[in-house]
Amino acid sequence: MLAEHAFGEFYQRHARSVWTYVYRVTNDAADADDIVQEAFLRLFQTDVPSDNEALRRYVFRIAGNLIADRWRRKVRDERQAHEAVDGREPQAHDIDVARTFAELKPRERALLWLAYVEGGTHADIAESLRLARGSVKVLLSRARARLRDLLTARGIERLGNDR
Amino acid sequence: MIDSRTDITAVEERVVAAFMDRLRTAPLPVSPRMPGADVLWLKARLIRQWDAQRKVRRPIELMEPLELAAGVMAAGLLLAWALPSAFEWIPRLIF
Repeated sequence: MLAEHAFGEFYQRHARSVWTYVYRVTNDAADADDIVQEAFLRLFQTDVPSDNEALRRYVFRIAGNLIADRWRRKVRDERQAHEAVDGREPQAHDIDVARTFAELKPRERALLWLAYVEGGTHADIAESLRLARGSVKVLLSRARARLRDLLTARGIERLGNDR
Repeated sequence: MIDSRTDITAVEERVVAAFMDRLRTAPLPVSPRMPGADVLWLKARLIRQWDAQRKVRRPIELMEPLELAAGVMAAGLLLAWALPSAFEWIPRLIF
């Protein structure tokens, strides 16, 4: 089990990135708060990997599982959750980016986030999302294509480059 | 010809990657409201303690209804055994 100091350090270092991942996938800050807390609490319930990187992947995997559990419970509220953005928005482009991403399905969001932002391999992503390793490549291609279609449809395909 | 379902060109791949990078750096409209590491540590300790207590209490809780049923049964047997002789004694006590 983790020592208090090691846990504190690990939490300080990674809680924010796990939260951002969960928030971008669920689009719900309260859910993200709960899921991240639960994911870190689970570190105390079982034997956890000792090396930091493996532990980080492990937390992402737990968070992924918890997100999946919530999807099942909240399928009906999904659309409503997409619109839950508060008024303190930073920039018009940022809102467009977030909204475009929110139009993807939760699993597509998770796949793209883990692949592009977290830099996960297909094996890592498969583990995080409880998918077969072979499916990740196909699902990721589809998610990528969906995002491309959305960007094209919204006429914001240059969004990433025009900062 | 591009399969509109899954295949994307290298240029499109760059656009998607750039979009994801933009998303990564985009400020979040809300802030996390998570407890500090020390609070979480304490919570984990409490949960562990509760789990341990629950584990210890489980056999006792399981046995409680059995003990009650055995007690009721014993009382019933005792009553059935004692009742005939009680009926003999009661008239003698009264008269």
